[in-house]
Amino acid sequence: MPNTEYIITLCDGPSCIHKGSRTVKDALEEAIAKHNMQDKVKIHLSGCLGMCSKGPIVIVNPGYTIYGSVTEADAAEIIEQHLINGKYVTRLVVDEDHLYNRFFRIFGDNDFFGKQMRITLRNCGIIDPENIDDYLSLRGYEALAKVLTELTPKDVIDEVKTSGLRGRGGGGFPTGVKWDFTANAPGDERYVICNADEGDPGAFMDRSAIEGDPHTILEGMAIAGYAIGSTKGIVYIRAEYPLAIKRLEKAIEDASKNNLLGDNILGSEFSFDIEIRLGAGAFVCGEETALIHSIEGSRGMPRPRPPYPSVKGLFGKPTLINNVETWANIPVIILDGGKWFSSIGTETSKGTKVFAVAGMVKNTGLVEVPMGTTLRNIVYDIGGGIEGGGKFKAIQTGGPSGGCLPEEYLDTKVDYESLAAVGSIMGSGGMIVIDEHSCMVDVAKFFLEFTQDESCGKCTPCREGTKRMLEILTRITQGKGKPGDIEKLERLGTMAQRSSLCGLGQSAPNPVLSTIKNFRQEYEDHIFNKKCVAGVCGALLTYTIIEKCVGCGACKRVCPTNAISGTRKQLHTIDQDACIKCGQCYDTCKFEAITKA
Amino acid sequence: MLTPLEIIKKKRAEAVSRIISKGYLSTKRVYVGMATCEIAAGSKEVMDVFTEAVSKGLTDVYLSQKGCAGRCNLEPTVEVVEEGKIPVKYGKVNKERALEIVDRHLKNGQVIKEWLI
Ligand SMILES: Cc1cc2nc3c(=O)[nH]c(=O)nc-3n(C[C@H](O)[C@H](O)[C@H](O)COP(=O)(O)O)c2cc1C
Ligand code: SF4
Repeated sequence: MPNTEYIITLCDGPSCIHKGSRTVKDALEEAIAKHNMQDKVKIHLSGCLGMCSKGPIVIVNPGYTIYGSVTEADAAEIIEQHLINGKYVTRLVVDEDHLYNRFFRIFGDNDFFGKQMRITLRNCGIIDPENIDDYLSLRGYEALAKVLTELTPKDVIDEVKTSGLRGRGGGGFPTGVKWDFTANAPGDERYVICNADEGDPGAFMDRSAIEGDPHTILEGMAIAGYAIGSTKGIVYIRAEYPLAIKRLEKAIEDASKNNLLGDNILGSEFSFDIEIRLGAGAFVCGEETALIHSIEGSRGMPRPRPPYPSVKGLFGKPTLINNVETWANIPVIILDGGKWFSSIGTETSKGTKVFAVAGMVKNTGLVEVPMGTTLRNIVYDIGGGIEGGGKFKAIQTGGPSGGCLPEEYLDTKVDYESLAAVGSIMGSGGMIVIDEHSCMVDVAKFFLEFTQDESCGKCTPCREGTKRMLEILTRITQGKGKPGDIEKLERLGTMAQRSSLCGLGQSAPNPVLSTIKNFRQEYEDHIFNKKCVAGVCGALLTYTIIEKCVGCGACKRVCPTNAISGTRKQLHTIDQDACIKCGQCYDTCKFEAITKA
Repeated sequence: MLTPLEIIKKKRAEAVSRIISKGYLSTKRVYVGMATCEIAAGSKEVMDVFTEAVSKGLTDVYLSQKGCAGRCNLEPTVEVVEEGKIPVKYGKVNKERALEIVDRHLKNGQVIKEWLI
């Protein structure tokens, strides 16, 4: 950003492109060149800005002036009027105050942020989460006030149905339908629960959402309370999130003081309280029926459904459980409308999804994009490509129980159905980029170790099946794999998928089955050729000293089994029988004279 | 009697004026990332530098904490927002960088380009 004075954000989403945004871009560039302003103006192409009906959209910063329906001819006028004469092109200004994409005012000119679309995390990173005034100033609690003033409970449920919102906790169940079921289930008392258990290792979007904007969750829950006729909300959050808990507590206290929670909210007939329950952090306690058991004070184990919690939940009463991210969408759906919300995303998956992008990618972090964005967009356009210049090998989506997809699936769109179709899942939104230096058998083993350990032990296929699978994987990585092991893994995996009670057992085999499907050769190499091409599985490696050796003796000194011999300044050798493959010599050698293969 | 919508609009107006009375309209607004991830990366120390600068007489600055914007490997992040200018975003801010941001940027209006995100 040398001497940039203006940043022009041009929507490069599919709808705007269709309406001619690319020719607008050319025209803008031409006008900028004509006035010799190339050094002062930077054009930034963004992802969908959510204003498709007004496209092509051009935003001029500083000032955050939004221009809509911009044509090629308008482009020159914007440059001349706005940038040179300092006057708005009033006829084109879009004067709308949306909740989404507010963070664009600060972050919009950056590739990592500017290609995202933020609905759930709209306030994260731009407001002080501990100050209710910040939230109120950005139309906070207006959605709640609106439903209390203008909408019947049924209207609210219909709006959520119209939005097409589906649960972000992994299952993807239509949220409006769930609200409807709970509202209509017989019972005198009902509960609203926010699932903030977030048990996936590596996932932290729920924590970030709560820490960055806790009131949004409370507002969403209160709206649901009104819609389904409940007066009691509970946030179930893991005790390992102390800061999130502290901010939630403060938010609840401030909201109560402002009559936004408690009795007769904003002078209406509606009363709603929210309390916090801490979970001890077992993965399975994120499963809704286990979560309910845990709140009731019994052991966190799933039970068969039906009956679903919407009919028979906490203390046997109808209970509405939604994920943190699901809740954060609700105020936007109420204020910007279910219809608008449903214009974002794909046919079956609406809105945006937050992903925690990690692994071998340059820009790691939280990425919120419209459903239907491709994996390639996320890894390369937003993630900045592979860290360290290595080669892309696979992307694991959906947390520890998701599948690993190779390069040919990079153009897969992220939505519930597309990911399922290629053998992975949306899950809660974990995304781990794996490069050529990882061994896929080892990766599968890593994830299975987690799920195996977290199995609650109730059903045999999950408890025993994952244990046996882990044994087989361990043996393969140790070079002791046998013919038939792959088939055995497939059989056990399919059985656990089909006959486990809850989602944990049903999805735990995914990493194994998907790596077998997509990287079978690597399994065969381990079993039949005793080779690990990625050079990860220690037991399958041979360390050899090559010509480059100068005979310094450094390796000889570190070898714990004295397997290396040689005279000073002469080529050394490794006794393969004595070598325990610890790799210390390899790490020590300064002359790259030791190879592992 | 006021409707909930009317009440919330009043509350919003009050909230805005409270924010303004805390100095929101200062020339520069400084936001320091203070979520678990940012704090783990050292943002508390950074916040201390700015708080101290303000208590020692740095004026015309509105200092606020904020949640995580999601840019993990560049944390802690600090934004300096000035009306009419493109918001400045600094990454990997530590105590030393914070001190320089105070001296060079906040006091002398000089953007430190090397640390921009
Ligand atoms: C093993 C397991 C762990 C789960 N963990 C979580 C979790 O951490 N957070 C969550 O919201 N949902 C989790 N779920 C999904 C919940 O059972 C439930 O479907 C979800 O909370 C419903 O909310 P939604 O409709 O908004 O997604 C988990 C499911 C299973 C099977
Ligand atoms: S599938 Fe696994 S985690 Fe789920 S109930 Fe059965 S044993 Fe427990």
